Amino acid sequence: MKKRGSIPILIGLAMAALLPLTTAAQAKVEFTLGSWRADDVAQMTQLLAAFNQKYPNIVIKFDPTNPPDYNAALHLQLQSGIGPDLMYARSYDTGRALFKEGYFLDVSDLPGLKKQYSELARAPWTDEKGRSFAIPFAAVSHGVYYNKDIFAAQGLSVPTTWEGFLDVCQKLKDAGITPLANGLADQWDINEVVLMNIAPNFLGGPEGRLAYESGKTPFNDAKMVSLFQAMKDIAPYCPKGFEALTYNDENAIFANGKAAMYFDGSWTMASFKDLPFNWSVFAPPPPAGKKGYVTFHPDSGIAINPASKHIDAAKTFLEWLYSDEAAPIVASDVPTGFFPIAANAAPIPDVHANEFLQMTKSHPTDVRFVWPHLMTGNPSGYNLLQDNAIAVMTGKESPKQAADAVASGLAQWYKPIK
Amino acid sequence: MKQGLAVRKESGAVWFLYALPALIVYAAFMAYPVINSLRLSFFSGKGYVLDNFVGFGNYVRLFTDPETSTRFFTAFRNTWVFFAIQMAVQNTLGLAFALILAGKGFRGKGLFRTIIFIPVTLSVLVTGYIWKLILNPQWGALNIVLTNIGLGNLALPWLGDPHTALGAISLVSSWQWVGLPTMMFLAGLERISEDLFEAAEIDGAGGWLIFVKIKLPLLLPIIGIVSVLTFVGNFNAFDVVYAMEGANGPPAYATDLMGTFFYRTGIAGQHPVGIPDLGLGAAVATTTFLVLFAGILLANRLTGERPEKKRGREAVQ
Repeated sequence: MKKRGSIPILIGLAMAALLPLTTAAQAKVEFTLGSWRADDVAQMTQLLAAFNQKYPNIVIKFDPTNPPDYNAALHLQLQSGIGPDLMYARSYDTGRALFKEGYFLDVSDLPGLKKQYSELARAPWTDEKGRSFAIPFAAVSHGVYYNKDIFAAQGLSVPTTWEGFLDVCQKLKDAGITPLANGLADQWDINEVVLMNIAPNFLGGPEGRLAYESGKTPFNDAKMVSLFQAMKDIAPYCPKGFEALTYNDENAIFANGKAAMYFDGSWTMASFKDLPFNWSVFAPPPPAGKKGYVTFHPDSGIAINPASKHIDAAKTFLEWLYSDEAAPIVASDVPTGFFPIAANAAPIPDVHANEFLQMTKSHPTDVRFVWPHLMTGNPSGYNLLQDNAIAVMTGKESPKQAADAVASGLAQWYKPIK
Repeated sequence: MKQGLAVRKESGAVWFLYALPALIVYAAFMAYPVINSLRLSFFSGKGYVLDNFVGFGNYVRLFTDPETSTRFFTAFRNTWVFFAIQMAVQNTLGLAFALILAGKGFRGKGLFRTIIFIPVTLSVLVTGYIWKLILNPQWGALNIVLTNIGLGNLALPWLGDPHTALGAISLVSSWQWVGLPTMMFLAGLERISEDLFEAAEIDGAGGWLIFVKIKLPLLLPIIGIVSVLTFVGNFNAFDVVYAMEGANGPPAYATDLMGTFFYRTGIAGQHPVGIPDLGLGAAVATTTFLVLFAGILLANRLTGERPEKKRGREAVQ
């Protein structure tokens, strides 16, 4: 009863079958770049126009899909043989799954790829055998946005330890100011931009993550409990009724100056461009005596469809994208809040983007905790962290119970990596 | 008489021709997808190609896999709660409104009838969004009013508390749809002959007695139809929850209904990986279908019984 989507698909198929006829007739090739970044049409069109100036015979059209539908829609297109020639590839398991099914071309041998991207930068788009299925394109960063005017008025300075951070929260609360803008209603954000933002500080960065992934550390150890304890500690500093505040509400609360701080990802800075107060970001502070990390997360790679008729032209584009010549163009056209990953990445003009970049220069980084290995099973590590973080913040579970729930949930399916 | 019979016979065959277009449309867009969905629930596969016959494998997973079955039974229970609240609130209010509107000497009937019916004509996404704003803990009208009249303690995060979220959404849905049962009950009440009320009044029956002994029994078939419609509407409910809470059933799966659970398994997949499990999704859809089917059969038995027989029985009593 719910499967009425087949008619539009058939029409799409029929139209796609006609397309090659119209393009093959011309000497210049024209094809599409699929993406989930529907917000980035303007910037990407500029970037592709710059490429077209250098290679007038290759025209690439940016063709994004609604983000929540991207994975499913792309999968359907690829299976039906109407996938885009070039497409954004998700990092880690989501991307690997498509590579395993043969929908991404092996690009390991692209000239210069290994020079421009370190092994670490390539890893999210590499399979177990070390084959690259996409070139790394953009990463997102995470931090704590703060209202500089409120901080100045209250005589507060940026905290450098987690204890100091809670202290700042308490002082703000005592002064009648909501310390944090974050809420729980949309769920993904408390998980991705709060919990996974602070996680490396509590779990010990990439080395700590690897110890969990390889089974050396149980998922309910003291470090995991301390992470959930931190989530519990910030709950009293969230706005009144934070249980029912959505991501958009949180944005509005910070943007209206009604909260002093806000955990979020770098992508939001674009919407904070014209705020009537001074703001900046700081790295989430680690517990006293621990090393601080920044969650710098590989977000989008670009892959080639092996069924494409324009593989050579697509390769030309990817090589150009990480060439020294294109680096400044990429840096100025990459959407605000996203960061190029290539070794030759040119400076980004935006002031706030540089504040984010400064954090990654002064701190070691890690990716979002569950992305590399804990995403695919049921219950996924993603859902376990999200549901239990919310349970802790609403007083339904103790931090210890939450950590135990994560461990027993993962025990149902997760086999430690070697 | 003979001629009349001949006409009737001919119209029997012609009837079929007239029904044919509708039958074709129904078969192509209703019957075939339902049957195909039933078939798919016995298959698994990669992505959208389901070619691996697994028998009852998907159902076994749905009912016994610890994670999947927890989600399924939570959604199943929530759907019944959601239905029960609507049945109690929406249909009782509908009956009450109809009784008031049908009352003798009630002025402004047209105006109130329109007011009650207006929400029915609005999009669920619009009403869901408006109510989400009204219930917002920071700037929502409801909590501001509660705080200003000194009931600040009652200013809860309605949609963020597992104890209140499902109730709040059911009430919003009841508010939106109360116009439909009102109209149906009103039409039913207006069809009851005035003579019956007059006779009862002469016999000395009061308002309550008239309601219990005359209005309610004669409205029984309509109550049956309204119940079936509410049941079907709620077991397929998705839109209002999606508009107010999204597809994950927050907080803590308290608003996860069969509709949202189906959407997550069969259509969208779980965020952020987002690759659906079509076979399992088809099993959820089929289970929902079977529950609906059984429910409608039962409701028909209880309330849609041949009226002549019932009236006959009442006469005997």
